[in-house]
Amino acid sequence: MKRPNPLQTNVRAVLIGIFSVLLLPAPGFGQGEQAPGGTSDKLPDWSGTWSMVGGTVFDRATQTGEGGAISAGVRSHPPYNAEWEAIYKTHLSLRDKNLFPDTISNCGVPAGFPRHFNLPDLYEFVVRPEQVWVLTENGPNVLRIYTDGRKHLADQWETYTGDSVGRWEGDTLVFTTVALKGYRDKDVILDRTGLVLSDKSHATTRIRKINPTTIEVQMTIEDPKALTKPWVVTKQFRKQPAGTRIYDYGCAENNRNPVDVATGKTLTLGPDGKPLDKN
Amino acid sequence: MKTPRQLTFGALLTAGLFVCMPPVFAHHSGAGFSGDKVIEITGTIKEFQFTNPHSWIQIVVEDAKGEKVEWSLEWGSPNMLGRQGIRPSTFPPGARATMRLRPMLNGAPAGAFVGAKFADGKTVGRWEE
Repeated sequence: MKRPNPLQTNVRAVLIGIFSVLLLPAPGFGQGEQAPGGTSDKLPDWSGTWSMVGGTVFDRATQTGEGGAISAGVRSHPPYNAEWEAIYKTHLSLRDKNLFPDTISNCGVPAGFPRHFNLPDLYEFVVRPEQVWVLTENGPNVLRIYTDGRKHLADQWETYTGDSVGRWEGDTLVFTTVALKGYRDKDVILDRTGLVLSDKSHATTRIRKINPTTIEVQMTIEDPKALTKPWVVTKQFRKQPAGTRIYDYGCAENNRNPVDVATGKTLTLGPDGKPLDKN
Repeated sequence: MKTPRQLTFGALLTAGLFVCMPPVFAHHSGAGFSGDKVIEITGTIKEFQFTNPHSWIQIVVEDAKGEKVEWSLEWGSPNMLGRQGIRPSTFPPGARATMRLRPMLNGAPAGAFVGAKFADGKTVGRWEE
């Protein structure tokens, strides 16, 4: 009997191994994995759940006044021109009287951009080679950022969240957002102090994980109608404990705080569905 | 009914607690509720609406004339509360409890929930003796 040649046996084993690998399903490109050429050499790992640091005053770096966005006297100081500063002051005055409605209080529209990065409850940053999705539990809302090389449409109409396209600069996602409705139809605000932007607003945003438990979002907002210069706002998001779950947020399930469209007042409904605060 | 009792430490307690609290009423109104006064009511739980966008505790309290008044206490979203261990069964119908709340400014029987203490001594939310 002919004895097997050890060299032939080894070659056969190697060939079997190679074919076995080739027969395996193609790997998906999840977070932290190799991306196709042209997108990024290595995508960062932004997995997990995240919570915005601080309250919902949009520009906390310029905040004056004590308390949260609905506290009388609290405001931010964006580089508004005189016309839009006057609009903001009107909103602040209405806010102080509980007469400035939150556009999402009737549970029908997205939060919009840039308020997308100014919401309570949790966030997820889903990194894919061709897109990044920023999911907000509150709403819920989805911000899609295309990273597949496409450009903004020349005839893109304005929407709540606009159109975002970007690219990776190392571990930093850089994207531009255009085609925003802003406050044109009075249904997009930035926070409950009454901050608003126009339908000419657009932004360049940089997102980066600055340490294992913090993602930083830096928005440079430009608005030739409302602002005198670019407005830089930075938000941070802190990683939540491993295993944290995200749940439904069906705002219309039992909304006992609708806005009275006649007055702009946010109501509180009793168990019979009638307002408790209409005197 | 026990007349709602204004706590002497209300202003201090509220200021201390709510500066540290997450934005419970982040997109709905909190403006109709007192910001500097905390009261107590005692009654029987009727219903816990563990629902979005906010949860509501319905509790029936006897007023000074012996008439039953249903109070509505607004709390956070079930998402946020659920992650803190709150469940639909946390406020079982029929249970007796004392509630602390920031009442509505116009005197309506409603407010923002602060904390609760059940007859057996168990507490929920923020409750400092």
